[in-house]
Amino acid sequence: MALAFGVYFFFSIADLAWEAKANGMVIGAALLVLVVVQLARIGLRVHRGEADLQMKSLVEPLDALPKRIGLVLITIAFIATMQWLGVTLGMVLALFASLWILGVRSRRALILVPLGVGAAVYLLFVAALQSDIPHGPVEWLLAKLLMLAMPPS
Amino acid sequence: MSWQFLLDQFATQFGLWWVIWPAILLGIVVGILPGFSPQNTLIMLLPLTLAVPVEQAMAFMIALYCANHLAGGIPAILVRIPGSGGAAATTLDGYPMTQKGQAQQALVLCFTASVFGGLITTLATLALLPWLSQLGLYLRSVEMVIVMLFGLTLIAVIAAKDTLKGLIAGFFGLLIGVIGTDHIYNTPRATFGFLELYDGVPLVPALIGLFAISEALVMLEEKMIVDQAGRERALEARWSDTVEGLRMSLEKWWHIVWTAFVGLFIGIVPGAGASIASFVAYQQSRLWSKNPEAYGTGVPEGVIAPESANNGVTSGTLVPTLALGVPGGSTAAVMMIVLQYHGMVMGPRLFATDPGVAYGVFVSMAVAYIFMIFTILPLARYMSRVVLFETSYLAPIIILVTIVAAFGERQYLFDMALALVFGVIGYVAHKTSYHVTAMLIGILLGPLFEQYLVRALRLSEGDLLILFSSPLGNVLWGLLVLSLVLPLWRGYRQKKPLPREED
Repeated sequence: MALAFGVYFFFSIADLAWEAKANGMVIGAALLVLVVVQLARIGLRVHRGEADLQMKSLVEPLDALPKRIGLVLITIAFIATMQWLGVTLGMVLALFASLWILGVRSRRALILVPLGVGAAVYLLFVAALQSDIPHGPVEWLLAKLLMLAMPPS
Repeated sequence: MSWQFLLDQFATQFGLWWVIWPAILLGIVVGILPGFSPQNTLIMLLPLTLAVPVEQAMAFMIALYCANHLAGGIPAILVRIPGSGGAAATTLDGYPMTQKGQAQQALVLCFTASVFGGLITTLATLALLPWLSQLGLYLRSVEMVIVMLFGLTLIAVIAAKDTLKGLIAGFFGLLIGVIGTDHIYNTPRATFGFLELYDGVPLVPALIGLFAISEALVMLEEKMIVDQAGRERALEARWSDTVEGLRMSLEKWWHIVWTAFVGLFIGIVPGAGASIASFVAYQQSRLWSKNPEAYGTGVPEGVIAPESANNGVTSGTLVPTLALGVPGGSTAAVMMIVLQYHGMVMGPRLFATDPGVAYGVFVSMAVAYIFMIFTILPLARYMSRVVLFETSYLAPIIILVTIVAAFGERQYLFDMALALVFGVIGYVAHKTSYHVTAMLIGILLGPLFEQYLVRALRLSEGDLLILFSSPLGNVLWGLLVLSLVLPLWRGYRQKKPLPREED
């Protein structure tokens, strides 16, 4: 990963003035040297039989792998649909789906946890901090209701 | 500055308790949430701080700032998610303490080290202010480049189980930190075509991804964060555990003192903030320890050092702000804006023209720390129960809520996706034993390193030898080499056999 990024970095700065690439050259060169030393060290260890080239540690334990991938996919869907669903509804649905794929089957937990976290997110990010995070049906509905509840000035 | 003047200042600040308490509570909330920085909160509250008298505005901002520095350690200890960059080093021993069922003790260590570290350095700053304000003037671009490289060697030493992997992670982070346009010609570099990266890699999504998301993905391998024994200990959390934490802090009082001063001196250097200070203090603590190999397994000193230094920075950061008009950090910059709005002129004359404000800032800080210990210490017992939640609940809540928090800094949806990308990078790094903290400190140092290196190289017309031209710089080079060689030499003397590993 570091090697690929280092090479990409060198390509991206190739035509720039020296001030723009001096730092990248210094750091990138040092990084490439370190990676080459590490590769040599791995080669030596493999040759001695002290290590192997398998990537098992990345995926083990295997029973957690589908959960992990599922959680990442749900997060991607949460970000991608936020512009339409808004942060609150998106959070409730994403959390419900996440808990389900992680094996939670208690109906109470599946309803209360997403609703509780969704409410907390709404109160903190939308109501209190008034951030520009995408609003959806829930935020619009609550805004209308709160406007109705407020006495006309 | 007479004793009478000081006593009057303390009396005035204690009278502002109604401003300080809410600021402390707000600072704690902001500190716990990754993505919510004190500077952003202060910016949002500018209409308030600009409207009230300057003494009240400063008391509010200072209390919020200090509480924020303290609270960043809470999620770092409980769920290995630093609330701020300054608490990243706290995860190294704080989280292992939680895994051992000592979350309450770790929290108390964090609170006492933060409060007393902050208090001691604030009082020291008050006494030494005329001299401390000169220190920042000795560090120019050449020396700053070496200080940054010193930070890099710390990366290798912190990740001492494998120094080479630590260096690779650090330099990888440093290269990521260079993404964006350069300072002189504004030409984009390695932005993958994204306009959102032209300003560089935003720190909050990187922090959230490398720590929170990667940790949540790893967390799924176990049913609980703690083992059965740790769970039983958390269930039986008693006030005696808080007392034990206090006893541990008392035993290590000298550790709190000297690491706080590390933070103070680093805080004085403009630009070098809590993140660097906490790592330097952690590394120095480990370097001079009789049991350096125990660091990373949950030792009290590993929590005390970064937290004490992290809070030692708070007073140091304000020294160049007030004495030179050069803000020591972004929060200090916001404070400077408020002071200037109220008609204060920063610089040495401030201490003569408005001593009530100049010294009052530090008195206010001392009072905030005194209030803080009574506010937060009783909460440790209840906070430590977070570890009783199952990971099937904790992991998705952490990922989804922190993803939303990633939006907070720049208000870009892009930053949420970026946090997820960093989460995956952090996960791979975690599983292949490349230190994510090393990567983060690299990202933090990247832009600053470039700024000082290019300035030094422009002065020398591209001659790298300028980096060896200053006596102070050469002393720093020596210390840097020592920091790298000493642990290697120690390791060699111990002659530990290397464990078999998968590459």
